[in-house]
Amino acid sequence: AQPDSSGLAEVLDRVLDKGVVVDVWARVSLVGIEILTVEARVVAASVDTFLHYAEEIAKIEQAELTAGAEAAPEA
Amino acid sequence: MSESHLYTYGIIDDNESLALNVDGVAGATRAYTVSYRSLSAVVSDIETTDPERTDAAVEAHNTVLQAVLEHDATRAVVPMSFGMAFKNARTLKGVLRGARRALRSTLTEIAGTVELGVKVLAPGDDTAVDTAAVRSDVTARLSALSVGETENDCFTDRLIINKSYLVEHDTRDAFDAAIDEIDAAHDDLTVRYTGPWPPYNFVDIHIGAEQAQQGGR
Repeated sequence: AQPDSSGLAEVLDRVLDKGVVVDVWARVSLVGIEILTVEARVVAASVDTFLHYAEEIAKIEQAELTAGAEAAPEA
Repeated sequence: MSESHLYTYGIIDDNESLALNVDGVAGATRAYTVSYRSLSAVVSDIETTDPERTDAAVEAHNTVLQAVLEHDATRAVVPMSFGMAFKNARTLKGVLRGARRALRSTLTEIAGTVELGVKVLAPGDDTAVDTAAVRSDVTARLSALSVGETENDCFTDRLIINKSYLVEHDTRDAFDAAIDEIDAAHDDLTVRYTGPWPPYNFVDIHIGAEQAQQGGR
């Protein structure tokens, strides 16, 4: 049998309840925000891996300038 | 002219830039990538950072991810939850950068796999079913062909099994065949076989923001 990926209930279950979540302030403004907290759990190979990071983002501006040179031009 | 925001669908390895003509969320007709070093977010342009949560929009989110999977069936995709729209490329790249270690290790963990969903339902009448026997038979067959599995909620009594499996590409034909065997062996039961999905049930990442002066870690 071939699996089917069109059922609305199956899609809603996944797209609404699961997947990467980014807090609104990290999405719309980095002004005044100095730390991104990242909590990750990967469930594969029957092993749960928990990762916790707190990344300082004060240097993002600088990194952005460097990365911007090789990134595609923005629309 | 107002600035365009970016709706994100998922994160991929940036082995090649990707541009797809596909119907996305909020009327978008094209999906493309925004990259920070080797991480790329699959995005489309959107006018709001708070898109309306309709069935059609959620289906469009899935349609774009399915198009990414079809474009290259072996590509690993870390799926975003619905509604993750960014103000601009700068904020998106900032988040890719801040979460790069978690995103990269997740991409490594899920490389070469897809998620497949399996639901097994008892008949709607009063037919007696040995649910324990069905469960052990089905899960033993499918566990052997997968590298990960999660138990989802059995929200009705009819639902005997509701699981998601993480399956390697090389094993997909064997998994398809196992579903056929299960279907044949349990004539009275309904088997719902869904996917392939990005590994929604095997990825759990939450990215938050803190102001350091408010007692950040």
